[in-house]
Amino acid sequence: MHELSIALDVCRIAEEHVGADALSRVTAVGLDVGDRAGIEIDNLEFCLEALLGSAPFGSGRPEIRRLEGEELSVTYVEVEDDGSS
Amino acid sequence: MAVRRIDVREKVMAKNDELAAQVRDRLHTHGVPSLNLVSSPGSGKTSLLERTLDALGERLRMAVVTGDVQTQNDADRLAVRTDRLVQAVVTGGACHMDARQIFTALDEIDLGDTDLVFVENVGNLVCPASWDLGEDAKVVIFSVTEGEDKPLKYPRMFERSHFCVINKIDLLPYLPFDMDRAVGFAREVNPNLRFFFTSALTEEGMEDWYEFLIDLARAEGETRLEA
Repeated sequence: MHELSIALDVCRIAEEHVGADALSRVTAVGLDVGDRAGIEIDNLEFCLEALLGSAPFGSGRPEIRRLEGEELSVTYVEVEDDGSS
Repeated sequence: MAVRRIDVREKVMAKNDELAAQVRDRLHTHGVPSLNLVSSPGSGKTSLLERTLDALGERLRMAVVTGDVQTQNDADRLAVRTDRLVQAVVTGGACHMDARQIFTALDEIDLGDTDLVFVENVGNLVCPASWDLGEDAKVVIFSVTEGEDKPLKYPRMFERSHFCVINKIDLLPYLPFDMDRAVGFAREVNPNLRFFFTSALTEEGMEDWYEFLIDLARAEGETRLEA
């Protein structure tokens, strides 16, 4: 039931790492989610697909690695280079 | 166009855990113990608190942070029983409380003039298990009308709790509820749970609960005096 809160926190973490201006260029967000993290993974994936696929994001998608244990972390963010660096 | 990968390795909910640690620090600095009451809706959390405030109000200075989902009802019920601190948090439909709400609520509580803080969480046996509020311990409450297998259906909540109140025991004569089975299931999930068997309606079994709270507040108070 709280997967949307979790998904919003994932988006906050992505924004911290790429900056608000680059959110529309995020292509993927990687997560590790343990089977004892208290998360319904399909539900989380659904929430993230909705959030990462709409403004201020563009066409990002979640890439979830399912693990054993209580892990719940963002492991990477992929972003299209805008050619400025 | 080239795609760049940025390594992150950041725990989700780290911000919540950071705030929970700050809540815990503030409470410990003042030597105030805190209990997070969690349960399904209708198990009797508010009734348990009403009886507790009635019975111990003159002996303990108790503050309550309530997490009603959509109304002020729980806070209103408690407010008439104490002129002590009742800070309502209406979660606006959310399924859990988070540490930020408790952190903010503590601003309204004079911790130097408080012996014990209760958090009455949102009625939900799933989501609140995942959120550290900075409390010393979770107290999971379930009532005999809910069936013995609640601990097996919601193991995470029972795993994460230190104490278990089985409430509404006045109804036992009318129900096919097997107390030994219920306790066995809970111990299967968490062998370290301490139990209280109560009726917040008739006050049967409440003395054990009261003594526990007094001992808890006294132990923390002594820590405060030593500090």
